[in-house]
Parts: sequence; structure tokens; C-alpha cells
Amino acid sequence: MHFLKMRGDILVTPGEVLGKSVELIAGRGAYVSAHDKTVYASLTGFISTTPALPESADQRPTVEVTGHKAHGPVPEPGAIVIARVTKVMAKMASADIMCVGPESVREKFSGTIRQQDVRATEIDKVDMHSSFRPGDIVKALVISLGDARSYYLSTAKNELGVVSAESVAGATMVPISWTEMQCPLTGQIEQRKVAKVGA
Amino acid sequence: MSGKPSSTATYSPSLTNLRKKKTINVGGSDWVRSDGRRIHQCRPAFLRTGAVSSASGSAYAEFGNTKVIVSVFGPRESKKAMMYSDTGRLNCNVSYATFATPIRGQAPEAKDLSSTLHKALEGAIILKSFPKTTVDVFALVLESGGSDLPVVISCASLALADAGIMLYDMVTSVSMSLFGKDFLIDPMSEEESYQDGNLMITFMPSRNEVTQMTVTGEWSTPKIHEAMQLCIDACSKLGMIMRSCLKDAASGTLD
Repeated sequence: MHFLKMRGDILVTPGEVLGKSVELIAGRGAYVSAHDKTVYASLTGFISTTPALPESADQRPTVEVTGHKAHGPVPEPGAIVIARVTKVMAKMASADIMCVGPESVREKFSGTIRQQDVRATEIDKVDMHSSFRPGDIVKALVISLGDARSYYLSTAKNELGVVSAESVAGATMVPISWTEMQCPLTGQIEQRKVAKVGA
Repeated sequence: MSGKPSSTATYSPSLTNLRKKKTINVGGSDWVRSDGRRIHQCRPAFLRTGAVSSASGSAYAEFGNTKVIVSVFGPRESKKAMMYSDTGRLNCNVSYATFATPIRGQAPEAKDLSSTLHKALEGAIILKSFPKTTVDVFALVLESGGSDLPVVISCASLALADAGIMLYDMVTSVSMSLFGKDFLIDPMSEEESYQDGNLMITFMPSRNEVTQMTVTGEWSTPKIHEAMQLCIDACSKLGMIMRSCLKDAASGTLD
């Protein structure tokens, strides 16, 4: 029963026993070994136990190891990422993933935005050059691990798309609608798939 | 064929001219080695994590005269040429500094050591926790003072834990040299050069599993059992030292 208490001060290392699998669910930083039904730690960090929700069928608490030093973030399906567009082609755009969620990655990952994933409506009429330009910073969602070379990203939501872009004159542009951005120096309007930022 | 007679001369070697192989005569269990240790005494281990600030994780180990530094990078993107894999990949590289051996120059076994290190570590890393990416482990032997590979393996597992890579357990490794009927644990380089055989065990102490065992030379079965028991016991104790090193580093950064 003492596992139900939050223990924020016990430091564990990989391979240390956290408990039996009949009493605990393994969360992040822990794993279950099937052949001896024990939950072990897989990271160095502090144990934290969250009790189960009262209405869930499984009443076992979840034990996690909050890594004092977890490895650098890696893009996963479902994560929101910030990427910089490197190449724009007829059917797809390549981007370098710089941040996963709120954390920046140590070394960049490659991502691809395909024509059908740029927006949610009229996906076959998308013109890639009116949606992105090289150098744009975009907010995208990782939809899958993709192929060997890059992750597949999608901007098909209102809050996804270009968050910051430079005009041909060199100034940071101001968004005026979900398809257009304007340069403050020259007044020129350029086409982008703009993200809806803010409330 | 012209009639010139070809000279025939024999060049068989003579047995009496064989040079006696120099060996170390190990006395009983009280025999003291050249660095003051008993036959079942390991060298004191000095371990530190976080030696290389630009790497995701790193560790430095000093076991007597064997000094090793290991850096871990990753998980990072695999090279473009690699095929897709839905589990992570491990890439190991062991190299010797040119000043590591008494005679300057590349030590011959570095390529073998890289693949042995890979086999020792891949069983302990939870590869499916980082699909499609690669973890690179680079080990540099700064000074080769004997029993290099076990020190590299133990130091690499410490560096992986420091990098936050998910592991099933720590990996510790100890080797033993055979001299006729006696063995010495954790041999130094001069003891290794005269050995008749060698046994290296790579062990996961908390799960009580041996991930790799390398035996060279002629061993009788009871000797192998005895040597394995001693190595496994030494590995468990080394495991506790490694864990306390990780915990010291973790609590040190939080204070």
C-alpha cells in the first residue's frame, strides 16, 4: 500500500526494481519484465507515483521515473513541431524540424509536408509555392514516422502553418488572413498558408 | 630440361632451440601481484559522468592504468542511406589514442572491439523507445593498461545511462586471465601478454543475466564454473559502484 504515496525523493538507476507488476503500471521511464512480473526503472531519476483514476477499471497506480536528464526530444506521431522550410517542390516541401513541443532538438530531423497534408479543404488544388517558401518557420503536426529519410508533417489545421516568414524585401511579414501575409516595408502581399496564432 | 643439378638442402627446425615461453608463476591464494593486489582482487574503479559537455551523455573511467572516455550522441537522425527501421539503431566505435599503448601506433584490435561492444550493449538498450533514430557510442581508450574491453563496456553503459537512453539494466564487465591452473582477475597488460587463456563476462547485475561471455584458451569445465562465479560476483559489485556514481551525479546537479 505504501506505493500509493507520492515519493519524489527516491533516486533510481536503470535496472532497479520498482515493484511487482500486479501492484503497479509502468509509466514513462519504467518497464515490465514479463517473465518475472516485475516493474524495473529504465532511466536515472526520481520515482513518482500517480494513483489510478477512481472510475477506471484498473486500480493500479502508475509509476514513472521523471528523468533528471532525459534524452533529447525525438519527433513522435502526434507531436507539434516547429520546422524551417528548406525546399519547396511541386508536390511536397522539405523542412528541418528544430523543436519538438516546447524543447529544441540537439540535432535537426528531416520532415516532409506533402501536398495533401497542407490544408484540410480542396487538397488536390493546393499550390505549394503559394503555401510555403524556403526559410519560412512553420508549426506542424507529425502524422507518422514516414520513410527512411524524413518524418511526415501536416499543417491541415487552423492553428498550424507558417508562423513567421520573411518577405522578398527582407522584413518579417505580418499575417493579414489565413492565405496572405504583408511586408511592412513595401506593402507587398505574399501568399502563404498562415497559422492562426493566439486566442 | 638442362642437366644442371638443383641443390637440395633441408631446413627442418630443431626442437632443442625453442625459446622457453615466459610465464608468470602464480603461487597460492596469498600470492601478491606486481601492483600489490591478490589474485582475486580487482583494481579500484574511478568513474565520472558528464566528462564531455557537447555529447548527449559521457563517462570517464580509470581502472588502474586503463583510462577510457566514452561519449554518447543521440538519439539522432540516421544517415539517409540507412533503410527504414521501426526500432532504434546502435552504432559503436572504439578507437585507441596513438599514445595509448607503450609502442606508439594504432592498437590492432580496435575493429573487433567495436563489434564486441555493440553486441554487449544492444541487449541492454530499449531500442523500440526511439524508432528510426540512431544512438552513436564513441569510446576512446586514452591509456591501455590491461583489461581494456571490460572497462570500455562498463564505461559505455554508464555513458548511456547519463545520456538518458532507456536501458533494461546497467551492463558491467570483468575479465579473468588463466595461467596454467590458476587465474587472476582483472589482469594488467603485462599479465595479459603472458596469459594462457582469458574469460570475459558481460553481466546485467539487477536482472542477473549474462549478456555476453568470451572464452579463449584451454579451460576445464570446473575452472570455467569457478571463474564465471567470481566474475559475476565482481560484476555485481562493480554494478553497485556504477549506480552510486550515477546517483551522485544526479543529486549533484539538483542541489
